[in-house]
Amino acid sequence: MFKKTGRVFWAVFAACGLAGCGHDSQTARISTSTQRGALAVDPPLRVASLSASAFAGELSASASGKDLLQLAGTPACGVDFYYLKYWTVDPAGSPTEVSGALMVPTGSTSQCSGPRPIVLYAHGTASTSTYNIADITDTGNAANAESAMIAAVFAAQGYIVVAPNYAGYDISNLGYHPYLDAAANADDMEDALTAARTALPHTFTPQTTDDGKLFITGYSEGGYVAMATVKAMQAAGETVTASAPSSGPYALEALGDLIFFGQVDIGSTVFAPLITTSYQHAYQNVYSQTSDVYSSTYAAGIDTLLPSPLPLTTLFSSGKLPESAMFDSATPSSSTGVPQIDAAADALLAEPTSPPYPPAEAALFDAGFGTPYLINNTYRVQYVDDALENPDEAAMTVIHGGTLTSGDIALATAPTIGLREDFKLNDMRNGGWAPEEPMLMCGADQDPTVFFEIDTGTMAAEWSAQVQAGLVSVLDLDATPSGPYAPLQQGFQSAYQALVSAEGASTAIQSFHGSEAPFCMVAARDFFAQVP
Amino acid sequence: MQHKIATLALGTALALAATGAYAGNSYPNDVRIGAYLVHFDASASDITGPYTVPGLGTSIESTTTLYLAYVRQLSQHFQVELALGWPPVTYAKAVGPAFVGSVPYNGKRIASVRWFSPTALLEYSFFSPQSHWRPFVGIGVNYSRFYSRQITAAGAAVSGGPTSISLPASVGPAVTAGVLYRLSTRWHVVASYSVAEVNSRLTTDTAGVRRSSEIHFWPNAVVISVGYAF
Repeated sequence: MFKKTGRVFWAVFAACGLAGCGHDSQTARISTSTQRGALAVDPPLRVASLSASAFAGELSASASGKDLLQLAGTPACGVDFYYLKYWTVDPAGSPTEVSGALMVPTGSTSQCSGPRPIVLYAHGTASTSTYNIADITDTGNAANAESAMIAAVFAAQGYIVVAPNYAGYDISNLGYHPYLDAAANADDMEDALTAARTALPHTFTPQTTDDGKLFITGYSEGGYVAMATVKAMQAAGETVTASAPSSGPYALEALGDLIFFGQVDIGSTVFAPLITTSYQHAYQNVYSQTSDVYSSTYAAGIDTLLPSPLPLTTLFSSGKLPESAMFDSATPSSSTGVPQIDAAADALLAEPTSPPYPPAEAALFDAGFGTPYLINNTYRVQYVDDALENPDEAAMTVIHGGTLTSGDIALATAPTIGLREDFKLNDMRNGGWAPEEPMLMCGADQDPTVFFEIDTGTMAAEWSAQVQAGLVSVLDLDATPSGPYAPLQQGFQSAYQALVSAEGASTAIQSFHGSEAPFCMVAARDFFAQVP
Repeated sequence: MQHKIATLALGTALALAATGAYAGNSYPNDVRIGAYLVHFDASASDITGPYTVPGLGTSIESTTTLYLAYVRQLSQHFQVELALGWPPVTYAKAVGPAFVGSVPYNGKRIASVRWFSPTALLEYSFFSPQSHWRPFVGIGVNYSRFYSRQITAAGAAVSGGPTSISLPASVGPAVTAGVLYRLSTRWHVVASYSVAEVNSRLTTDTAGVRRSSEIHFWPNAVVISVGYAF
C-alpha cells in the first residue's frame, strides 16, 4: 500500500519537476513578417509611464525643462512612452528593421483617452547613431531633449505621437542614414505610422484609439522629412489632415548652391558627410572615391563616419571632422576657359566679406573657411562652375540680393554634378506639387543653420497661390510679432535675446537653430488645433 | 567549489544508500509528511538592462507548503533523507523606489514562480534507535528547478509589457539539524531546521528587452512532520 502511495507521490513530483506544472508567462510576439510597416514586436515595450503631474515634476527639475513647461503648458495628460520596432525598406527596396517612439496620452478625461488625433513627428539631424527618441528614461541619450519636447507639446496635450528614429539609428544595422532622401524618409515615416496603428490596440491603454486625424510635423531635417512625407502620402491618395514642417532644408539644390558659393551654414561639416554618404548609397553618382569630394585630410573613412557612436566633440578633437571649416581659406579659382563663367565663379568662390555682407553674417560665413578643410578645392570649383552653367534660379536670386517670387525659383534644368542631380531629385520643388491640405511652415529668418529665405521662402514662392488662398501659411519667428502667433514670436525673440545676454552673440548663435524648435512645435500644435 | 561539495555530498549519500538498509532495523523505510515553513533569505543585485532605472531590487516572500520526505536507515546512526516541499507558489516582491515613473513599485508582487526543490541529505542521529528522543544533523545537496514563472500585472506594468522569466536551475549544498520523537514503533514526529544555498540568474524578456539580476537564496526552513516507518 505504502509502496504504491509512495510511487504516486514521486510520480507527481517527478512530473512537476521535469515537465513542469502550470505554464510560464510569455513575452511579446515577434513578427515573422518583414513587410513594410510590420510591427516587429507586438505589443511594443512601454519604456516609461508618467502621469501628468509626474511629467510636470520631471520637467520642473531642470532649467530647460521649466522653459519647455512654460512654453508647452501644464500637462493635461500623462504620457506612456513605447519603443516601436518595425520594418521599413532601405533606398534599394530591401527590408530593414528600424525603431521609433509611440507616445500615448493617458488620463481619464476625454482629452487624454478615447479617440485621439495622431501627430507623426520627424526628428532633426542627429550625428549620434544611438539616437533613440523613445528613450525618455536616459538623459544621456542625444534624443532625450527632443523626446521630452514632443511629449510635452503634443502627447501631454492629448495627441498620440509617432516618431521614427530613422534607418541608420538605434537598432538599425543599415550602416548609414538615408539623409534627405525624400522617398526613403517618407517610406520610413509611413511605416512607423502603420506600425504604431497596429500597436495602439495592444498598449496598456487600448481604449485610446486613432480618431482618423493625421498631423505631420518635424523640425530641421525632420521639417524636410515631414514635407516629403506629405508629398508622398498625398501622391498615394492617403489622408493628411494638416502639416507643419519647420525649419527644413526643403529647397535642397538652392541651399547646396548657396553653401558652395561660400554661405556656409553652421553644421555644414556634419551635414556634408551625411548627405554624400546617403546619395552615394542611393544613386552611386557622388564620387568614385571619397577623395573626389573630400580633402585628403578627411577623405579616408568619411563614408562610414556618420552617424557615429561617438559624440561630435570626439570626432572634432580626434581629427575625423573639422568643426566648421568646410572650405579652404585659400580659395581656388575657376578655369573653365569661359571668361564670364570664370569671373563669376571666382567671385562666388572667394570668402564672403563685409561689405557686401553685414558684419555678423560675414563672420558667420567666415567660420566655414579654414585649414584643414573638408571639401577639396577641385570639387568645389566643379560644383560652382556647374551651378553657374546650370543655375538654380532661387539660389541665383538670393545670392544677388533679389526677392524670391514664383517666377525666379526654378530648379536647374540639367545639372551635371552628381550631387547637384541628387539635390534636384530630392528638392521639394521637384514634381510640381502643392499641399492640398493646410500647411504651416515655421522657421526664423535669422536661422544660421537652415537658411529661412532660401528654404521656406522658396517654397512659399513656389506655392504662392496656396499661400494667397490661405492653404499654406508661413510663420517667421524673427518677424515683428503680429497675428495669431505673436506671443510665440515675442517669446522666441525674448528667449534668444536672453541667451545672447547670458552667453554672448558668438556662442548664442550656435544654439539659434535648436532654440526655434519648441516655439515652432507649439505653433504647429496651435495650427493643428484650428483644423476642423 | 560549491558544486564539488554538493557532488561529493550527493555521491556519499547515494553510495551509502546503495549499501542497503540497516539489517538490524525491521522498519528501515520511513515516509514523513508535514509543514514546510520556508523563509527565503534572498539577496539580489539590482536589476540591470536597457530602459531600467537604477536601484530596482527584488526580495522573495516567505511561504509555507507541504513537506514530504522519504528516509532510509543505513545503520544505527546514519540515514539518508530525500525531502521536498510540494512546489510552492513563491512571490518576488519589488524593493526600491515607491514609483518607477508613475508605476507603483516598492512592495508590489511582481512575479510568481513554483519551485521543484528536492534535497538529498546524509544524516547522523544521536542516541540509540530505541530512544524516544533522537537529535540528528545532516549534510547534503539541494537541487532547485523553477517553473510556472509568471509575471504579475504589477510586474508587467513596471517591466513595460508581457514578460517571460528565465531562472535556471541551481544545485547547492544543504545542511539540517533536528530532533525525532518516537511515538510508537512505527510512528514518530520530527522537527528540523534546514538551510540550502540556491544561486540563479533572473532574466526577464519584455518585448525583446532583456534585464537581469543575480539572485542568491538561502532558503531556511522549519519543518514539523509526522513519520511512519515500514
